[in-house]
Amino acid sequence: MIGFAAFQIVARNVFAAGLTWADGLIQVAVLWVTMVGASAAAGSDRHIKIDIVPRLAGPRLGAVTGRLTALSTGLLCAALGWTSIEFIRWEMVDGTEGFGVVPAWLCESIIPVASAVMAARYLCRAAWPAADGPSE
Amino acid sequence: MIWAGIALVVLLALLGAPLFAVVLAAAMLGFMAAGVDLSVIAINIYDMTDKPLLVALPFFTFAGYLMAAAKSSERLMGLTQALFGWMPAGLAIVGFIACALFTALTGASGVTIVALGALLVPMLKSSGYSERYSLGLVTTSGSLGLLIVPSVPLILYGIIAQQMGVGESFTIGQLFIGGLVPALLMVVLLSAWTMLHVGDVPRTPFDAGAVWLAFKAARWELPLPFVVLGGIYTGFVAISEAAVITVVYVLIAEVVLYREIRWRDLPGVIRESMVMVGSIILILGVALAFTNYLVDAEVPQQLFVFMQEHVTNPLTFLILLNLLLLVLGAILDVFAAVVIMVPLLLPVAVGYGIHPIHLGIVFLANLQIGYFTPPIGMNLFIASYRFDRPMLELYAACLPFMGVLLIALLLITYIPWLSLWFL
Repeated sequence: MIGFAAFQIVARNVFAAGLTWADGLIQVAVLWVTMVGASAAAGSDRHIKIDIVPRLAGPRLGAVTGRLTALSTGLLCAALGWTSIEFIRWEMVDGTEGFGVVPAWLCESIIPVASAVMAARYLCRAAWPAADGPSE
Repeated sequence: MIWAGIALVVLLALLGAPLFAVVLAAAMLGFMAAGVDLSVIAINIYDMTDKPLLVALPFFTFAGYLMAAAKSSERLMGLTQALFGWMPAGLAIVGFIACALFTALTGASGVTIVALGALLVPMLKSSGYSERYSLGLVTTSGSLGLLIVPSVPLILYGIIAQQMGVGESFTIGQLFIGGLVPALLMVVLLSAWTMLHVGDVPRTPFDAGAVWLAFKAARWELPLPFVVLGGIYTGFVAISEAAVITVVYVLIAEVVLYREIRWRDLPGVIRESMVMVGSIILILGVALAFTNYLVDAEVPQQLFVFMQEHVTNPLTFLILLNLLLLVLGAILDVFAAVVIMVPLLLPVAVGYGIHPIHLGIVFLANLQIGYFTPPIGMNLFIASYRFDRPMLELYAACLPFMGVLLIALLLITYIPWLSLWFL
């Protein structure tokens, strides 16, 4: 995570230097920050949600809805990851360029990877809600 | 079949599934029904990175987290106190302005209640304001600032509206200028109401020495609004570049000059802001995919046709819009409301001849009030938790503030000039 942050700072400096491929690099960096951040948010269950029913319902009902939503979220993440692999396969075949010499599929590979991490985390939470809570 | 799917998505949302999963489910359902390969969603998430504006979000968020971790809030309070403390109801005005600026910079109204509330409530009470007034001020002012640059919901609205490409085109800079007068109007109305109703509370005499000291304490942070606003409004730098400059500036100010954040604390702040950025941009990504589906399926057009049959007058439409958004603002998180409702409502509003900037300002002004609308506005819960007060007491404390802000909302809604004067 710290190494990743360092990458962000380096990217920022390169951006200031105004290299032509730097814009692309920054944009991909934002995608990576997003996906890694989203995986972290999944780990500590801090994704933004509209929690009316859990807020009004008692703890027992809350535990049930918690499992249900974690299960469906996990499945949705898995679906997102699975379908994104298809997209990346086309990009590999087409040989689309991301930025500079880096191929686009490499930049995009974070989407299925992070989706898989999120799917795993939510499915774990559905199976063992006891392990819930901030992971830090 | 499709209705069963929609019901399932709504149920997921109500049961508290993460928002990105709800929108993702809606988008998948839509594309499946339209027979489009689902990999289109990943393509949308990747294409999103093509928007230079998107770069601004992580940088502004990180800068906000840095300022929240440092003692910026104390300096901001000190400075506004020295500048406005001598006026009638001065401390209350200090509270409004400080809260508005702090929320604009940190982008989260809950952060403002927690960070500034701890300072403001004791200060207000010890200078003669009632407890009820003090709690009301902190709970409601936490969302002032939604309309002020560089508020994240405002940037989100801009990105989605530009993606839709309906109505007159506008720049994010114009959207930011549009928010200034309405935000100022709210602060002025709240201040005027306080002066009239709270009556005699002791004032601190104006002291040039204290002002100088407060200025000196805040000397490294003071130039920041001018760097951000000046840069954007003079067109000297793009929003994304302004965001990068802001981060570098805040980083130097808080870590090197004030030394309030130690180097080894930085990774923690970075992690915190990444979690925030990750959850917001992921929602934005799936929301853009969902928006594309809606546009392809011509859902907003059908909605407009349906509306036209029942509502012919733009004014009536605006009243209905206000009612709808107030309810939604109380139920939904501000990000949720923006990503779900803007794609549906913007084309309809444009059909009634409403300018996209005006709609954006009305939209966020409504959501701002929704934040503390009983019974379930988010700020009420945060304040109840933070100050350890029962919810009913907070409802009562917030109602007068809500009344004043509703008047401001009506003015903003029915006088488009307030948000469009510069065009």
